[in-house]
Amino acid sequence: MAELSTRPLRLTINGQAVGPVEIPDDLMMIDFLHEYQGLTGSRLGCGQGICRACVVILDHDDGTSEEMRICITGAHFFHGKRIRTIEGHAEHGDDGDVVALNPIQRKFVDHFAFQCSYCAPGFVNAATVLVERLEREPVARADLEATIDQALGHHICRCTGYVRYYQAAKAAIEELGLVKEG
Amino acid sequence: MRRLLIGILLVPGLTAQAADDESLIERGRYLARTADCAACHTAEGGAPFAGGVPIASPFGTIYGTNITPDPNYGIGEYSADDFYHALTEGETPSGRQLYPAMPYTSYHLMRREDADAIYAFLMSREPIARAAPETDLSFPYNQRWGVAFWNLIYADALEPDASSSQSSAWQRGQYLVEAMGHCGECHTPRSWTGAMDLDRHLEGGSLAGYRAPSLEAEALAERGWNRDDLAHFLKHGMSPQGSVFNEMFPVMHHSTQYLTDEDLSAMATYLLGDTPPEARRIEPRPLETLSDSARRGRQSYLDTCAGCHGGDGQGKPQVAVAMNGNTTLRLEDPTNLLRVMLDGIEARDFPGFARMQEMPGFAAHLSDTELADLGNYLRETWGGQPGDIAPEDVADLREDSAHAAP
Amino acid sequence: MKYPRLSRRAFLKGSATGIGITVAPLGSRAFAALFEPRVTAARDQWASPSGAHFRIDAISKVSGAKVFARDIRARDMPGWPQQQSHAMLLKATRADRTYQGFDLSLLDDGLQPDRIVTSADLEQDGVGFPESHGPDPLLPEGKTPLFLGHPVAILIWHDFARYRAAKNALQFRDDLIRYGAKTGEVERPPYGSFRYVRVGGETPYDPDVFSSLKDSDLFPTIKNRRPVWPDDPSLNGDIGEQGVYHARRMQDTLDDPPDNWEVFQARYTTPYIEPAALEPDNGNGWLDPDTGTLNFVVATQCPFESAHETARMLEGSRFDVRHLNVHPGYTVGYGSKDHNIFVYYAVIAALYGDGHPVRLANDRFEQFQSGIKRHPFDMDYRLAVDRDSLKFQIFRAHMDVNGGGRANYSASVAAVGATAAQSVYYLPRSDLATTAYPSRAVEAGSMRGYGTLQTMAATEMMVDELAERLDVDPIELRRANVLEAGMKNTQGAIPGGAIRVGEMLDKAERHPLWKERTERRDKRQAEDPDHLYGTGFAVSHKDFGTGAEAPMASVEIDAEGRIRLRQIAIDMGTGTATSQAMNVVDFLGRPADDIKTGETDWPELTLETSGNPYTMQQAEQDRLSRNPRWTPRLASPSSASNSAYYSSHATREAARLVFRHGLWPAALSIWGQGIYGGQANPYVMRLEDARWVEGHLTASGMTPIPLAKLAAKAHEMGLVTAASVHAFNRWSWASAEFPLNDEAPRLPLDAVAVKYGDDDYHLLDRRDVRYPDVQLNNAHVTYYSPVATLVDLRVNKGSGEVEILEHYSWVECGKPIVPELVKGQLEGGIAMGIGHALLEEMPLYEDGPGNGTWNVNRYQLPLARHCAVWKQGSEILPPLSDTDPAKGMGEVVMIPIVGAIVNALAHATGQRFRDLPVTPERIKEALHG
Repeated sequence: MAELSTRPLRLTINGQAVGPVEIPDDLMMIDFLHEYQGLTGSRLGCGQGICRACVVILDHDDGTSEEMRICITGAHFFHGKRIRTIEGHAEHGDDGDVVALNPIQRKFVDHFAFQCSYCAPGFVNAATVLVERLEREPVARADLEATIDQALGHHICRCTGYVRYYQAAKAAIEELGLVKEG
Repeated sequence: MRRLLIGILLVPGLTAQAADDESLIERGRYLARTADCAACHTAEGGAPFAGGVPIASPFGTIYGTNITPDPNYGIGEYSADDFYHALTEGETPSGRQLYPAMPYTSYHLMRREDADAIYAFLMSREPIARAAPETDLSFPYNQRWGVAFWNLIYADALEPDASSSQSSAWQRGQYLVEAMGHCGECHTPRSWTGAMDLDRHLEGGSLAGYRAPSLEAEALAERGWNRDDLAHFLKHGMSPQGSVFNEMFPVMHHSTQYLTDEDLSAMATYLLGDTPPEARRIEPRPLETLSDSARRGRQSYLDTCAGCHGGDGQGKPQVAVAMNGNTTLRLEDPTNLLRVMLDGIEARDFPGFARMQEMPGFAAHLSDTELADLGNYLRETWGGQPGDIAPEDVADLREDSAHAAP
Repeated sequence: MKYPRLSRRAFLKGSATGIGITVAPLGSRAFAALFEPRVTAARDQWASPSGAHFRIDAISKVSGAKVFARDIRARDMPGWPQQQSHAMLLKATRADRTYQGFDLSLLDDGLQPDRIVTSADLEQDGVGFPESHGPDPLLPEGKTPLFLGHPVAILIWHDFARYRAAKNALQFRDDLIRYGAKTGEVERPPYGSFRYVRVGGETPYDPDVFSSLKDSDLFPTIKNRRPVWPDDPSLNGDIGEQGVYHARRMQDTLDDPPDNWEVFQARYTTPYIEPAALEPDNGNGWLDPDTGTLNFVVATQCPFESAHETARMLEGSRFDVRHLNVHPGYTVGYGSKDHNIFVYYAVIAALYGDGHPVRLANDRFEQFQSGIKRHPFDMDYRLAVDRDSLKFQIFRAHMDVNGGGRANYSASVAAVGATAAQSVYYLPRSDLATTAYPSRAVEAGSMRGYGTLQTMAATEMMVDELAERLDVDPIELRRANVLEAGMKNTQGAIPGGAIRVGEMLDKAERHPLWKERTERRDKRQAEDPDHLYGTGFAVSHKDFGTGAEAPMASVEIDAEGRIRLRQIAIDMGTGTATSQAMNVVDFLGRPADDIKTGETDWPELTLETSGNPYTMQQAEQDRLSRNPRWTPRLASPSSASNSAYYSSHATREAARLVFRHGLWPAALSIWGQGIYGGQANPYVMRLEDARWVEGHLTASGMTPIPLAKLAAKAHEMGLVTAASVHAFNRWSWASAEFPLNDEAPRLPLDAVAVKYGDDDYHLLDRRDVRYPDVQLNNAHVTYYSPVATLVDLRVNKGSGEVEILEHYSWVECGKPIVPELVKGQLEGGIAMGIGHALLEEMPLYEDGPGNGTWNVNRYQLPLARHCAVWKQGSEILPPLSDTDPAKGMGEVVMIPIVGAIVNALAHATGQRFRDLPVTPERIKEALHG
């Protein structure tokens, strides 16, 4: 059975070297995180790359980052690469408690952005990628809302109507000084 | 009293006239769809037939014109004769030559009564008082005399083959394919002047960086087509051979999905012939028989494709087409395959309850070598084609892709 | 006539089985959020007495913690084996032929399931199935599937890699199931059929001539699977016949109306909707062979029902289950995880795990294939209005409801839909008939809106169109007919409290979106030839609660002043945990420090139940209530927008008891220390003067005392330091006298246990319990929250696509507990309403979700671009006073947007759309023929 042929995977997750782990050739990344790594924060929503509840951040060597839909991307795609998952953003204290959130997480919390939160990891990652992009190249005030629309617009949330996610992202970008006035 | 009498007398006549008009308009609606007027004259997000669709040509962008009945910006001042003349001769009432993006060389074959019905239909639409964007072609194609000259050379060159030995379905199909559907405009190679190379009619053309594949019967059968699947493909935009994408999508979206099953079957009959060649079946090749490049490509397939197209190329219903049996993989020229792998395909609504999600492009995620290996894996495994894509081929296309208009 | 089962949540047929049930607290850190949703480091910052700063669960949720049952694997569970097994359901996708077994031969030997469970196993092993979910949870061979997607087997693999490979190979295959003879669809009688007839008195305030509440609901006889009503009803017949007589007279009048009446008639249909809760159904269970304990992690809105039904399933089975540990996670469902059969499939998978923990978790295709859907309605409406007075005269609404293949809440949804159809209007005469039919579609059940979305949105479209026909302003027509306080609803019941719909109409009428709608439209259309523009309005009010609400809560305060709240309600994302924790502020001066939601273990209340609260006779209730341990219902699921009011009732009553009989006497004691009654003596001490100021209690100028000191004193004095309460509501609260110290206050509760000082709970013996009369069941609803919405949109002339440009809403929900949560519900409800009105659609049958190929690529869920994210506004009407109760509004928020969109489309296109969703195809058809 070709499906069960395996190969080793080695990558960096949230700054930690992982592997080599011997896993099936065709294992999807989401299954690797859920079933082999115990990281279940990247959620299975549609399983077809549409809802984006599963996205993680892929970090490139040139300092840029991007969202990846791991429900339709094989685990071995990430061989030798660096990713960040929702579990990697907050700072944890010695006892494992969260002691600090990233600016997007903080704003989402303060704005009551999510309800059930199943989609929240995808939104956090997408908005974090956006913030990191704007840190390299700030956005003009007039383009701010459209930029957020574009960055988050494919993500599906069934609870909230998106309003608080968007307002929170806007507030975070403004407070981080990533808007060019005028 | 006299006026009243006239009124009474006229009513039945008027009603019958109105009903005639109504049925003429309905016929015109259908024929306008067979002629796919909307593809060039209804912009995405625009009012119907108000023009503004940008049509990329090797010489520049041509904009579809406003063909609503607006007297200033549309065809409101056209008579039925004017309309017929413009459709079939490419000349407006004022004597201006149309750009040949308007397929009047094909429409030249359109029957007068069909043109009149389309005219009646268009004149019944809401007039939209807006000018379509000005077409701006570079020299010499901005010269209208040039167009007239081109017209002079080629305009009458194509005549339908009225051979009576063919079935009536075949003949109906011929009219739909050659005149109304103007399929040859894309599926026929063009010469350096931009005119169709009629010696190579339907042998396949080139459009905005993609190949419009050959529609010759042998070539279609070689790529796995039979009559039913071809008709189904035109109706639904999907079949076991794949789904419409790129420039064929609007054709299905505006035109072929609305055609009757009889007409679609007729088109398929014409294209494949009354006695169609047998569609070629290709058994997937086992991994161990593939070239080194293709075997390397398998892991990229599993990493980036299998999530939607299935580990064994079986596809997912309503999500992604099967690779097993896919017609694009069977094209000798790998351009379309590589372009899709590089650029992806945008999400599209299909008829009924079908909607194909976006296919991401992998230009940023896979190297030239990886894409070549992946392409070879696909072609060898399911396409019956050799794994002859070299990384340089990908690099060339990547270059084109980067320069292509968005 | 036999009463059809109308129970919305009739799950408890008796007391629990011999199987002990607990929710065991688990020590693993991973479960901090799942089982004790404290927010770790941020726990002290989430709220202050002045309000919630963020959701109590926010930190866990935003940082990817395991908060959903879906997130749990065996190795996360203390004491479980590490290796996780996985299961999938094998389903039949035809419902017109007999099922003749299945064939997994396409799987290599290595991928064959380790265990296959079929109906034969269940029968042989004596595993029952909740009666209300039957029949045939796993279809036996030889029978015709009841519906598309009927499960036939559970397949189990003991490792993930093989499970995944096998599932990939099996998914989408239509050659796994063998079918036999063609039988056609299995035909069955309706799930329920009801009629509500009312003939009001001279004025809305006079006694009714006939109504459900005064007389009775009406029930048909069923012939050939259709409801049949008496042909020639007489006023001298029985009560049912009298009702039909009145209905017949109304029909005659509508057929031959007075000259000055306009009689409007139209048919409305609504879509088949997938709730698409992003967490798909799942459960993960391990039957510990050594201890006979079934440990079960599950996603459910009704953990109490799930636990008790699971126990009943196992009673008498060969599996020697002695104890059941149920672990509900935070979840989301919009109703679809209430009374959900999936839970019991997951239980079966666990039972047959051969000692391994087994996880059954739908992917999205499977969720579409088997998850509970929203009922499609087909409604025939007639409304007569007097052209001179603009007053509505007669409303006749007959509707068919498609309940799909299993009897879920279809009968109840049909009834709730019918009794809501009146929307916000007073109707002097009405005839509402409703029938829920089975079909081969995937089952429909509880989903946000619960029938009222379907019927009220249609009413709002009808009223708008009628206004156009009468050539009056749509808001004016509405105002002329608003149901005012003291008037009766279509069942003859008087709604609770003030009705503030009129205020909303006034505000909407003055809003620029409305006032300038036609000039704005004309101006924009002149500038933009590609689009049509329009503005629409709608208003609705919706019931909250089910008519048999049974909330439970306990509030405890320890000697250090830490407040611990336990609630039976579960948080589905709506913010229940947060708002319940805030509820104690009024009484204890600060929010709860710890809250445990989804608590199913209430030994201190030792309640029992019997009978069906919806259908029992008065004599039966009188007899049963002589038992001081009896209650008409043990517990409610988290649904029906019930947390804000009903759950809060329990939390607040418990907190009130702790204050009244614990902290307040402790404070009096402190203030009275010293000679001559200390500092309190010169003043008059009254309970109603008590105020919390910055976490300190004062009254009548007394020295403020910090909570911790009061708590210590209450513990020291043996005062009430904890109260655990149960209440029952049938459109009114049950009450009883409870002996407390030397008093016997009458409380709106039917069970109370308290702790004195550091003691354990003492159950108080209730006296003179008064349950609401069973006749109140016929009120069907008395609690309402209204919402009004204005929508501005445009329609693309070419594509028919609708773009919502702006919207604005008003909501009245009493005194909101956490305003941000209310706004969040509103924003989310509007998005869901937009989906219902414009986007979401599936075929019911062979091409529909039961075939297993549906996912969100085809099913268009609302995206941000559909919702006018940046261009929307809303306001919560300020409460009349701070004594307003908090009212449920989780469902009503999604209703007006639907009617408002369709009415705006009429404004834009001149076309009335009556079939939802109004897709681009439908618009193109209307615009271009």
